[in-house]
Amino acid sequence: MASRTLTGTGATPRSGLGTVVWYDPGITLPDADESVDVDAERDRFADAVETARAELESERDATAERVGEEEAAIFDAHIQFLEDPTIADAVETSIEEGRPATRAVDDAFGSHIEQFEGMEGRMAERADDLRDVRDRLLRLLTGGERVNLADLPEGSVVLAERLTPSDTAQLDPDTVAGFATVTGGRTSHAAIFARSLALPAVVGLGEGLNDIADGAEVIVDGDAGELLVDPDDAEREAARADEGAAVVEEVVETADGRGMEVAANVGRPEELEPAAGRGADGVGLYRTEFLFLDRQSPPEEDEQYEAVKDALDTFPDGRVVVRTLDVGGDKQIPYLDLPEEENPFLGERGIRRSLDPDSELFHTQLRALLRAAADGAGELNVMFPLVATVEELEASIEAVEDAAADLNDRGVDYERPSLGVMVETPSAVFMADEFAERVDFLSIGTNDLTQYVMAADRESEHVGHLHDPTHPGVVRAIARTVEQAHENDAWVGMCGEMAGNPDVTELLIGLGLDELSMSAVTVPDVKVAVEATEYSSARERAEDALRVATRSELHETIQ
Amino acid sequence: MSRERTVEIVPEAGLHARPAALFVETVTDHEADVEAGPPDGDLVPAQSMIAVTSLGVGQGDELRLVADGPDAESVLDELERILTTPEDELEA
Repeated sequence: MASRTLTGTGATPRSGLGTVVWYDPGITLPDADESVDVDAERDRFADAVETARAELESERDATAERVGEEEAAIFDAHIQFLEDPTIADAVETSIEEGRPATRAVDDAFGSHIEQFEGMEGRMAERADDLRDVRDRLLRLLTGGERVNLADLPEGSVVLAERLTPSDTAQLDPDTVAGFATVTGGRTSHAAIFARSLALPAVVGLGEGLNDIADGAEVIVDGDAGELLVDPDDAEREAARADEGAAVVEEVVETADGRGMEVAANVGRPEELEPAAGRGADGVGLYRTEFLFLDRQSPPEEDEQYEAVKDALDTFPDGRVVVRTLDVGGDKQIPYLDLPEEENPFLGERGIRRSLDPDSELFHTQLRALLRAAADGAGELNVMFPLVATVEELEASIEAVEDAAADLNDRGVDYERPSLGVMVETPSAVFMADEFAERVDFLSIGTNDLTQYVMAADRESEHVGHLHDPTHPGVVRAIARTVEQAHENDAWVGMCGEMAGNPDVTELLIGLGLDELSMSAVTVPDVKVAVEATEYSSARERAEDALRVATRSELHETIQ
Repeated sequence: MSRERTVEIVPEAGLHARPAALFVETVTDHEADVEAGPPDGDLVPAQSMIAVTSLGVGQGDELRLVADGPDAESVLDELERILTTPEDELEA
């Protein structure tokens, strides 16, 4: 056991082992009653603003180059905060009243930071932006040396109260083993940056983090959301094994030549480029819900078309599997007026809503998809979520035909994409042959399938242990689905979390899956696992795994 | 003379980050005083990033713009373009 474990929020599902380097911008403000030369302080402030602007511009360009345009945009926002006339006026007044420029800057930003801190979500993150700009100015005014995050010794784990966007942008994932912060949540800038760079990170660890000294050995476990201090040998070994494989760009095959497509699950457009950068062959699950969130009315056809076309253009030689709108269950969208149900996971969700009452939305989405299929570079595949009956599937296919007819009447270019069913319900497992006869592919969503096969909610503290796809009941359901798909000439993929676990890659290859789709972070690990596997022996192991009766026997079989 | 217009916000992020930065920069580059706010609420100075951001304007919301000065018409045209262009098509 480690001597100490702190718990926070994991930002990246990855572990890193290293030596603590505390990052402290170290700004000490001079005493308030120090007498000042008003003109000199005014000049100092003007110089600091000018230098800060130059720094921000160069960091913006460097970030655009290293991370992406999307992430670089934050620096444009910082430039505007820096030059905000409200701040300039407040600082000017304060200096005239005899305060030093440092105090004036601290005061001018302070009230606005508080104002944003009191707000929710996205607005609260603006407080981070303002702090970042303020600290930059104070550092320049106090002549403080900037801690060089870009030049840390290899194997450093950076600990900080918080990391600003400009801090994280400097971290080099090849030398830094990870970072951990006192504050921050999953959607903070630092966490998002960490995910784009596949850098192990845990945020929001709380004040306890301050007790960890420089030079301590720690493991940042982004999977569990923990920081382990002074880990023992076994923990070190486990963390080293998890440091991750190098990116493999090519499509991989097993040692004896059976191909396996390794794709990424994507939930937002800004995840597309990083997924390609991690070596994903395509997208195995593109969740379209993001297009419908954080707004007051559904997106128009053109907006949806553009989003899907972008995804297809990011993977010109690959396949992109788009799931049609999947709301209900725990996914709420205010303007869709979802019913309050006793048990939403067994209620109106997925394709059930798309056929009625959201049929209009469904048709708009299908038209957008058919147009994108014609214009995008990659190969579009469309799948329907939570299908339980052949009637639902046939109605969905008919809706695709209706969309094609509409576009034909409009004289717009379109193409029919390959169609598939997401296998999440026990009924879909038993009906897999009927489904596969009617579509081109099946994709097994193991998170929901496990929940429904085991009748266990993974969030439940009492039965959460039943929510494990390596229970023989779930493995047999997967095997049956694959077999029925292949007998009916459909390919079959998997897009649940199980697909991204390299410990079960051999089992999944042995069961006959044609595609595995996962969080982009684990794509390189799974590609390496595929290349290390012999299909012939994987096949035998899978057959053994289908004969065992308990989860522990299954684990023994696949070890 | 004073001109005014109400625009529905298209960028996914609303008036935050890149669109907000471009919005404020555009106001600063024109010879006009511009104020912005909800259609039926108080207006704030549009050359202040802090003020503009604290409006909390999201995608699909309406924003009222009032401009006064020699560039009033052209600044409103430019701001409308920024507010009605999806973020990934925005040119700085």
